[in-house]
Amino acid sequence: MGAVVKGPGTAFRESSADPRTESVPFSHLSLELGHLYMEDFAEGPTRLRRHFAAVRPWVEAARAGLGPLAPGRRPRISTCFLIDDYFSRLSTPAELIPPLLEAAAEAGLTIDYLARESGCAGPAADGSRHRDRAVLAESVLHRLVESPPPGSNGFRPPVGRTGWLTNGRRTPSQRTSAALDATGVWQPPSETEARGHSVFLDVELWNGPEDGRTWSCAFLAAVWQLVRLGLLRHNGAAVLTPVRWEDGTFPADWDALPPVLRLNPSATPFTAYATCSVLPSRFLPVEHAVRVILDQVHVEAEALAQVAERSAGEGFPVPAGVVDRTSYVFPPGL
Amino acid sequence: MGGLGTTSGPVLACGEVRTCLLPHRRAVDEPTAVRLLGLRADEPVRTSRRPNRHACSPGVLTGVDCLLPTATGAKVRAVGTVTAHAGLVEGRVLQSTAYFSAPAEGPDRRRPWGYYLVRPGLLVPVGRLPGKSVTEGFLTGHQQDRLDVGSIAESLLARISRHDLLDHDAPLTTTDTSLRWTASPAGDGEPASALLTELGSGLRIAELRLPRGTTPLAAAALCEDLALHDWLLTTVGDKLDGLPPGSENQAAALKVLRPLVDHLLHLWMPRARLDRALSPLWEELERHPGFSRQWNTMAQRIRDQLALQNLIRGDAPARS
Repeated sequence: MGAVVKGPGTAFRESSADPRTESVPFSHLSLELGHLYMEDFAEGPTRLRRHFAAVRPWVEAARAGLGPLAPGRRPRISTCFLIDDYFSRLSTPAELIPPLLEAAAEAGLTIDYLARESGCAGPAADGSRHRDRAVLAESVLHRLVESPPPGSNGFRPPVGRTGWLTNGRRTPSQRTSAALDATGVWQPPSETEARGHSVFLDVELWNGPEDGRTWSCAFLAAVWQLVRLGLLRHNGAAVLTPVRWEDGTFPADWDALPPVLRLNPSATPFTAYATCSVLPSRFLPVEHAVRVILDQVHVEAEALAQVAERSAGEGFPVPAGVVDRTSYVFPPGL
Repeated sequence: MGGLGTTSGPVLACGEVRTCLLPHRRAVDEPTAVRLLGLRADEPVRTSRRPNRHACSPGVLTGVDCLLPTATGAKVRAVGTVTAHAGLVEGRVLQSTAYFSAPAEGPDRRRPWGYYLVRPGLLVPVGRLPGKSVTEGFLTGHQQDRLDVGSIAESLLARISRHDLLDHDAPLTTTDTSLRWTASPAGDGEPASALLTELGSGLRIAELRLPRGTTPLAAAALCEDLALHDWLLTTVGDKLDGLPPGSENQAAALKVLRPLVDHLLHLWMPRARLDRALSPLWEELERHPGFSRQWNTMAQRIRDQLALQNLIRGDAPARS
């Protein structure tokens, strides 16, 4: 495997044997200003105004909660909003986005970056550089390393085949014979890291046939968190790099829009050391699933090392575990 | 993570290498090798052309939480990940390696999974690691309900062998081999050493004492190199064993010799990608038992047989 043969005074390097990992810029915090279903948009501007009015105080709180920074450092907080164009497309960007931005502005909020949910499933980066059919969600799927319940010695059906991921051990499958059922002993599922009692969760990552999978909302949301944390690469290259979009006009087709837009020219970087998402509490189950997924994603070591080095360098160390870098606010009235 | 025996590093690395002929009629080219070994969508297969062609898959991790094999039967629980990768040499010989390293001690209870995922390839014992007992237990072989590194290597090999690109029409029949290995740091002033044992039926065990600071990856690469060359010696040796002299039965001899020349003779290249600090170990193996000496003798025998056949064939028309 050793790609570099070293010795006194001589070295032979082969570039293809020595992959590089592109670095990305970092804000301190990536703040998500809510998430809405397409149906919510359909309710009109009043619904959007109500949303951002409820989000507003928590944005202030998240800013304050960043804590003291090293002397001379200004907090770098970028805001983002994810639009669900993956599960339904009731309207066009031209119809949907301007009222959204207006409603945010009315509440005194700026959306720095706007992202499309299908970008989390779709091509890994701009199509010109990666013409292969690799998709981001699939890459993350390949990076899942299941948390082993005690007793796991190397055998388990891989998640890649089943499409389900748990935080523990499932109930053993039961025989269906009625005669056996009478005597059969039911065994409960268990959560691996339970404190006393289990909260067992089994997350569906996708459904549908292999060549036409529909990724689950929870899985795409986990990808979205990893993208915001700057931890994903494709063959070493950064993914979903924001594209400047400052003229205020939007196309009639979602696919004509880059996956991540930078709407605010003075925004701090999209990717950040930590994330905070202000969400309606109906998303609580989804975000529980997101945490179960994030806890089992093996992030590329070099990407992790870059964050650790950079954040420590500016006196803002991040937790080692990826899931511990995410936080949520579920405010009332959202 | 530091190398073996360093302050922050592990005190033990253990693994298993499986080696087999790629089940395909001919050696595959580099693009095909890349497709075969592309285990992940986002990480490239690493290829190298000097001093021979080699392709290496990205690593894949398997989470485990179980008892380690021990010689004494002591119950040592460890949690973490076993890493595995596959390699293809000259598009012809397929290897898969699964291995882990372990520190001298770990927390007294299992930590959140994220703790282990940022330490890929490390199995952290719950409490203290009885290194000697685990080394002996691991080399002895799989024990019921305890860690099974061999099956992880095997399933990776099976996953690649099942690929649609392969025609499963190998040009010669060969036996797969397993090399089970452990590596611990050599003491100060102690030279690196390897104790290599052949256990028949394609199983080899290697107990290594390596220079302090050797990474588990470098130890695994050494074992892959050992396994590859041991496999070549085994395979060619088996074919030549009991070979009818070419002068008696030309057709039968040619049938055996030809695939060896076509597919295996050019693969001998010890230390192709070896960490230089580990070179003395190979030099020792070259002195005793003398890997290259045996190989050169066999290769010469094959060439002599073929030369002889040419001579006989050259004579044949004159006689008729």
